[in-house]
Amino acid sequence: MEKASNRQRVLLGHLRSSSAPRYNNHESSLSASACLAEGSAAYGDDVVVVAAYRTPQCKSKRGGFKDTHAEDLLAPVLKALIEKTNLDPREVGDIVVGSVLAPGSQRASECRMAAFYAGFPETVPIRTVNRKCSSGLQAVADVAASIKAGFYDVGIGAGLESMTVNSRAWVGNVNPKVKHFQKAQDCLLPMGVTSENVAHRFSVTRGEQDRAAVDSHRKAATASASGRFKDEIIPVATKIVDPKTGDEKPIIVSVDDGIRPNTSLADLGKLKAVFKKDGTTTAGNSSQVSDGAAAVLLMKRSVAMRKGLPILGVFRAFVVVGVDPATMGVGPAVAIPAAVKAAGLDLEDIDLFEINEAFASQFVYCCKKLELDLQKINVNGGAIAIGHPLGTTGARCVATLLHEMKRRGTGMGAAAVFESGDGSDELRNSRKVESINLLSRDSR
Amino acid sequence: MNPALTLESSETTVFTFYLLPPTPSSPLTELISFDTADGIYDLAWSESHDSLLIAAVSDGSVKLYDTTLLPTQNPLRSFQEHTREVDSVDYNPTRRDSFISSSWDDTIKLWILDRPTSIHTFKEHAYCVYSAVWNTRHTDVFASASGDRIVRICDVREPGSTMIIPGHDFEILCCDWNKYDDCIIATASVDKRIRVWDMRSFRALILVLNGHGFAVRKVKFSPHHRNFLVSCSYDMTVCMWDFMMEDALVGRNDHHTEFAVGVDMSVLIDGLLASTGWDEMVYVWQHGTDPRSP
Repeated sequence: MEKASNRQRVLLGHLRSSSAPRYNNHESSLSASACLAEGSAAYGDDVVVVAAYRTPQCKSKRGGFKDTHAEDLLAPVLKALIEKTNLDPREVGDIVVGSVLAPGSQRASECRMAAFYAGFPETVPIRTVNRKCSSGLQAVADVAASIKAGFYDVGIGAGLESMTVNSRAWVGNVNPKVKHFQKAQDCLLPMGVTSENVAHRFSVTRGEQDRAAVDSHRKAATASASGRFKDEIIPVATKIVDPKTGDEKPIIVSVDDGIRPNTSLADLGKLKAVFKKDGTTTAGNSSQVSDGAAAVLLMKRSVAMRKGLPILGVFRAFVVVGVDPATMGVGPAVAIPAAVKAAGLDLEDIDLFEINEAFASQFVYCCKKLELDLQKINVNGGAIAIGHPLGTTGARCVATLLHEMKRRGTGMGAAAVFESGDGSDELRNSRKVESINLLSRDSR
Repeated sequence: MNPALTLESSETTVFTFYLLPPTPSSPLTELISFDTADGIYDLAWSESHDSLLIAAVSDGSVKLYDTTLLPTQNPLRSFQEHTREVDSVDYNPTRRDSFISSSWDDTIKLWILDRPTSIHTFKEHAYCVYSAVWNTRHTDVFASASGDRIVRICDVREPGSTMIIPGHDFEILCCDWNKYDDCIIATASVDKRIRVWDMRSFRALILVLNGHGFAVRKVKFSPHHRNFLVSCSYDMTVCMWDFMMEDALVGRNDHHTEFAVGVDMSVLIDGLLASTGWDEMVYVWQHGTDPRSP
C-alpha cells in the first residue's frame, strides 16, 4: 500500500499547491478524504455477486408448486448457480438459506438434502437463518460478511419458502407477560393489522393502496410477457396432483403464476377489508402467499476475476434497523437512508430499488416518506403481483434487481425488505459502484 | 508512425491498443491488449519498427512490447534501472534507435533499443521528472519537465543540461516541443497555466495560456499546425489553443467525468484528437465535433 499512498501523495501535490492568489480560492480548501464508497475496481477485496437465480413464484395451495416439496424448490436454483458459472461446487464455503415458517431443525435438514440433490458434495456445509421476511436478504448479507471476514472465499445466500407446506400458526400458549409489555404484545399482531396501523397513522388511502397494487401487477405482467424474467428464472420440473381425481401429472413451471395482468382499480375496489372493519387492507393490495426459492452466488472479486466470471454486482452495504412492531412496515424508510449513507452515497445516486410490497400501505408510505422517484422502484413489479414466499423474497429481490441492473447497464441498486416486529434490512449491491439496500419485511 | 492509438492505464494494469481505421467515423476496435502487473504511465511507439512499443511502468521498469506477438510472448524486454515510477518515455523521431525515459527517481535515462542497459543517466533534477521529450529537429536535444519547477534542455553529447528554464513557480507536469519551430517549447504546470517559450530569446516567455481550473497534466503541439496545441487537466477538460491568436483558447471539451490525464493528436489525420482520463474512458474525435457523439 505504501506505493499507492506515495503516488497519491505526489498527485495530491499537483492539486494542492495550485492556489495562485489571483484566482478564486475555491480550490484552496481541497483536501484528501477517505473514500467512503470504496471506489470502482482495482483491489480484489470486495465481495461481488456473480450469479443470481430464482424459481417462479407460485400461489400457495393452488398454484404450480402446491404439490412440490420445499427442497425441490431450492435444489434447482442451487444447481443453476453451479452449472451456469461452471463453478466446482467443492469451492463453495457455505450455503445460507433464509427460511421462516418451517420448524427450524427440519428445514435445515431439508436444505441439506436439497444441496445433495443439486450436486453439492458433503463437504459443503449449509445452514438456515430466520429474520422473518428479511431472511433471504439476511442470508445474502451473512455470506457477504463471512467472505469479508475471511471465513471463506465463495458462498451462496439463498431463500426458500413453501407456504403451502407451512402455515403461520403459533404453537403453544402465549406467555402471559405480554399483557404487561405492549411492544411484546404487538409482536403477536397479525401483519395485516400492522398494515392497517400504518395506513391509519400515516394516512395512506385505500385508493393509493389499490393503485399501487394495479401498478405492481401491470409492471410484473409486462416484465413477464416481454421475457424480462427469463434470465433470472430457473424452470422447475415437478408434479401436480389433481385435487379431485388424485391423478399426478408431471409439469414444468416457468412463470410466476400469481400475476394478474388484467387487475383494475374497479376490481380491487370491490374487495373487502380483511383485517379491520372499514379498513383499507384487502387481499388485493397485500402480497400474495406463495411458494418459491432464490439463490445468489457471492465471492471475492479476485476469485471472480481469476475465474473469468462476470460481476453482476458489488456488495456495498447492509443495514438492519428495528422499529415499532405495531407499524413494522415503516422499516424501509429508516433502513434505506442508513444503508445508502453507509455506502457513502445519497438517495439520488441509487438508480433502482426493489422494495418489498408486503402490503401496499407500507410500500406506499415508504416511497412517499423517502420521496423516491417511482420510476426507479420495483420496475418489474413486486410482491403484490409476484408473490411473497417469506424466506425467499429477500434473495429474489436481489436476483431481480441485479438482472435489471445488468439489462440497463446501470450503477446503483438497493433492495429493501422489511420484517415484522423488527425492522428492515437493507442490502446494497452495485455494479461498478452500487449498493443494494434490502429491507426485509417479515409478514406473518 | 502507426495509425493506432495506445491507451495506458495508471493503476488498472490493463494496457490496450486500438487500431484506428482510416475513416474516423467508424468505431475504434481493439487490436491487442496486454495485462501488466503495475500501472503504465506512458507509451511511445518505436520510430524504427511499427509494431514496437515502449512502456513506462510504475514499478520503475521500461518495457518493450511487440504488437505482432501474442500477449504471452510479451513484454519482449524489460529494462529495470529506475528506482521509482517511470512517468514518461519518448522515442527519438530522427535518430530512430534511441529513447529516453524520465522517472520519479529524479533522473532521465537514455537508451538504445539493442543495448541491455542505459547509455546515460541524467541526474540533475531535484524532484520527479514528469516528462522528457525529444526535440523534433535536433536529434540530440531533449527537454525535461520536473516537479522541481525547472525545465532542462539537454544535449546528449554534453554531460549536463545546456539550458535551464525556471519555468513556473509550481511543479511542471509536462513539456512539448513545437513541431514546426524547433526553438519553441510549451510547459504545463500545477499553477494551472501553460507557458510557451522561445529558446532563441533566452528565457523570454512568449505567452502564458490561462484557462484551466486545476493543474495541467499534459500539453501537446499539433503535428499539422504550427500554432495549435492541446492540453488536458485535472479540471477534467481538454483545451485547444492557438497561441498566435488574441484569445488563445479556441476550444474546450469537458467530456471527461474524472481527471483528464492523457491527450494526443494524430500525426496522420489532421485534427484528430484523443483523450483519456480517470473515468476509464478513451475518446477519439475530430477537432470541432463533440467527443461524446458516436
